[in-house]
Amino acid sequence: MRDAYIIGAGQTSFGAMPGESYRSLFTEAVDHALESVPAGIDADAVDEAVVGSLGVGGRQIGLSGPAVTEHAGLHGVPSARIENACAASGYAVRQAIQAVRSGMADVALAGGVEVMTDMSGDAAKYWLGVSGETEWERLTGTTFAGVYAQMASAYFDRYEATPEHLSRIAVKNHANGAKNPNAHLGFECSLEDATSAPAVADPLNLYHCCPTSDGAAAVLVAGEEVVGEYTDEPIRVAGVGAASERVGLFQRDTYTGIDSSAVAAAEAYDSAGIDPEDLDFAEVHDCFAIAELLAYEDLGFCERGAAHELVESGATELDGALPVNASGGLKSKGHPIGATGAGQIAEAYKQLRGEAGDRQIPDAEVGLTHNVGGSGGAAVVHVLEREVAR
Amino acid sequence: MSDDPTSEPGVAAIGAYTPRLRVDAEAFEEAWGRFDVAGVEEKAVPEADEDALTMGVAAAGRALDAAGRDGDEIAHLAFATTTPPMAEEELTPRLASVLGAPADAATRTLTGSTRAGAQALAGALDAGPWGNSDAGDADGIGLVVAADCRRGAPDSGIEHAAGAGAAALVLAADAPGTVVDRAAHVASYPGTRFRGAGDDETTGLGVTQYDREAFTAALGGAADGLDADPSGVDAAAVQSPDGKLPYRAAGALGVDTETIAAGETVSHLGDTGAASTFLGAASAFDDGSGQVLIAAYGSGAGANLFVIDGSVPVNAAFSGATDVSYAEYLRRRGEITSGEPEGGGAYVSVPSWQRTTPQRHRLVAGRCPNCGALNFPPGGACRACGGRPDSYEQVELPGEGTVEAVTTIAQGGAPPEFVEQQSRSGPFLSAIVALDGPEGGNVSVPSQVVGDADGVEIGTRVEATTRRIYTQEGVIRYGFKMQPVDRRR
Repeated sequence: MRDAYIIGAGQTSFGAMPGESYRSLFTEAVDHALESVPAGIDADAVDEAVVGSLGVGGRQIGLSGPAVTEHAGLHGVPSARIENACAASGYAVRQAIQAVRSGMADVALAGGVEVMTDMSGDAAKYWLGVSGETEWERLTGTTFAGVYAQMASAYFDRYEATPEHLSRIAVKNHANGAKNPNAHLGFECSLEDATSAPAVADPLNLYHCCPTSDGAAAVLVAGEEVVGEYTDEPIRVAGVGAASERVGLFQRDTYTGIDSSAVAAAEAYDSAGIDPEDLDFAEVHDCFAIAELLAYEDLGFCERGAAHELVESGATELDGALPVNASGGLKSKGHPIGATGAGQIAEAYKQLRGEAGDRQIPDAEVGLTHNVGGSGGAAVVHVLEREVAR
Repeated sequence: MSDDPTSEPGVAAIGAYTPRLRVDAEAFEEAWGRFDVAGVEEKAVPEADEDALTMGVAAAGRALDAAGRDGDEIAHLAFATTTPPMAEEELTPRLASVLGAPADAATRTLTGSTRAGAQALAGALDAGPWGNSDAGDADGIGLVVAADCRRGAPDSGIEHAAGAGAAALVLAADAPGTVVDRAAHVASYPGTRFRGAGDDETTGLGVTQYDREAFTAALGGAADGLDADPSGVDAAAVQSPDGKLPYRAAGALGVDTETIAAGETVSHLGDTGAASTFLGAASAFDDGSGQVLIAAYGSGAGANLFVIDGSVPVNAAFSGATDVSYAEYLRRRGEITSGEPEGGGAYVSVPSWQRTTPQRHRLVAGRCPNCGALNFPPGGACRACGGRPDSYEQVELPGEGTVEAVTTIAQGGAPPEFVEQQSRSGPFLSAIVALDGPEGGNVSVPSQVVGDADGVEIGTRVEATTRRIYTQEGVIRYGFKMQPVDRRR
């Protein structure tokens, strides 16, 4: 199996963009990805396209892959939408890697797009709930936040973490996002702000929840035979892992961790031949602050029950030993559902190329991205590694 | 009429349920400057997810408990209400499903009159007894359920009096309570209380003397049909559209006002319509009465009387716990809320909902034949062993469990299909509950926690109750929710 490389990645700003459509956003992200290829690339080089989208709002829910790739000028390229809730474009990247590794494509485009802010708050709440288990879980009146809040309740009951640890994660991610010009909520917040915000779903308050955003992101994946045409400093896909879990939280063996994340991470580390200690940074799926806390454990950054100590140590802050969500994460950078996974790759690509500006992590060589669908029904983890010039 | 009482079933037990919330007369006085109903101090207020069917289920469950009988013994099931949740479509089969009644049980649905409960009782007494013990069959039982959530225009005395509650009578051979006398009477008196087709508010012309005449003529006519003078009864449960009218019938019924006072619930529950006289009887037997007159009246007009003698067991939830303000009352009634917003709701087609009714109505889980683990809902791969059994053994869960995870969905945070519930009844608890298996083990289910849910946390013991889940495509979906065991009323 040949190696796959990230040769380009880009994203639109995330936020409320009433002037943009899902097609124009996707096209802009593709342009950013194409422009980011060090030696340049012609769009004609793309052999395959995979588009992640939940389809919030309905809009072009059928054939949304071709609808956006044709708009972006990728005429005739095989294109399909992949739907895995918030992990849609993380899985799209995985599909593109599979296409390249298998030899079916030399260059594959993986992207994602979502438009979430052009509808009523009630409609947005409807769409945010469609990735929960519909027949039983959702019919308890729960929401996306509600399911994570249930996990938080069980986690706090079992371990020593408190809501203040969640607020500290929010403060950290906002501090990082304030350094990211593409962030939706690119402002700093105080611990006071993040602890005194109104309740959304107890024990989660507003600052423990990510926003709903518009945005798109795109990633270009190339095979080892052609990567040299596009860059002298390739970013190798060192490891890939993915796993599913029962969609309804009530159906799972544990509420204090996300098994699909743990399995995906173990597979990614194993295939990359690394340990968590080898990571220079991670972009993790913090749709809610509790999700980042759980991710620390699921991804092996600390022992079970010790995530709050990692928060207290400052290790995951931008200047810490393992910066997490330098981009601002879903909390500050934003969460346009279908674009999030590819957006994480775009951030990792920037960090590994040393192009992350004020939030640059010095000498970043190995990074991890962690993308979760819904409350954990799907998870995908990528390990990316900067190779020395050849 | 009752020539041979021994040929009829008797009353084995009465169950009663009233909503937990109360609004008092002072709250109305504060809002309106006056309270238009004599003899009502406070009244019961249903939550947004309660209706005549859910209250009826609660009362029926209590009646069966008090009688020591099970739903699968029901041979005759009657459901009576003036406020059916659906104007057309029988709700009794859903009541039967929740109670686990056999599919061949006779069902009756009576509505359109506050004496519908009494008419249901008369019909059941005529139909029973059930089963043939001589042939070795188990004795069947009859279950008569009356429930109502009365409603009028907000500025009317009818609304000021409108209460809510449900009562259910288990009928069986050789029961502790014997119907020793009964009679019915009709007299054409239009216009006292009525509700047009398609309306949801009851109204009346308010011709005071005429209304009283209709009431006493119907009840008095029925009293004339009794075999014996009922003056010796310990209590008379007289139809109570307000707290004053029942006493006007003292002379016509031949009982004194103290006897009527001993069988009234209107002062604390309000007008409970079709359930009014059964609730009064439950209250009277609960207080130790040995002989109770049920005197039901319906506009139009008609009356049914029953004299029940004996020591009838009662399981009742009469106590009200929480007083609500008038504004909270209006919210509960849906008077100041705007209904479900646009935006869509979780789509569960009616056929797919119907396939899950054993789970929704009776908590039927499945036991994996390979590893013995309980699965809920049963189907697909076993959650414990991962195997794919050909079929799961059907196991009805007892309905108690322990909260494993819980959140309160804050006001304004509900998804569209739950916005109206939240607007009316406030923030709600969404939990995962590990329900006990019948022989050890447990299985987790998601559920709202309702009732007095303050302080519910991980570890709290809860028990199942039936409520409205939501309405989609015009079809009300009923299912289980949980309430704290230690707040059981």
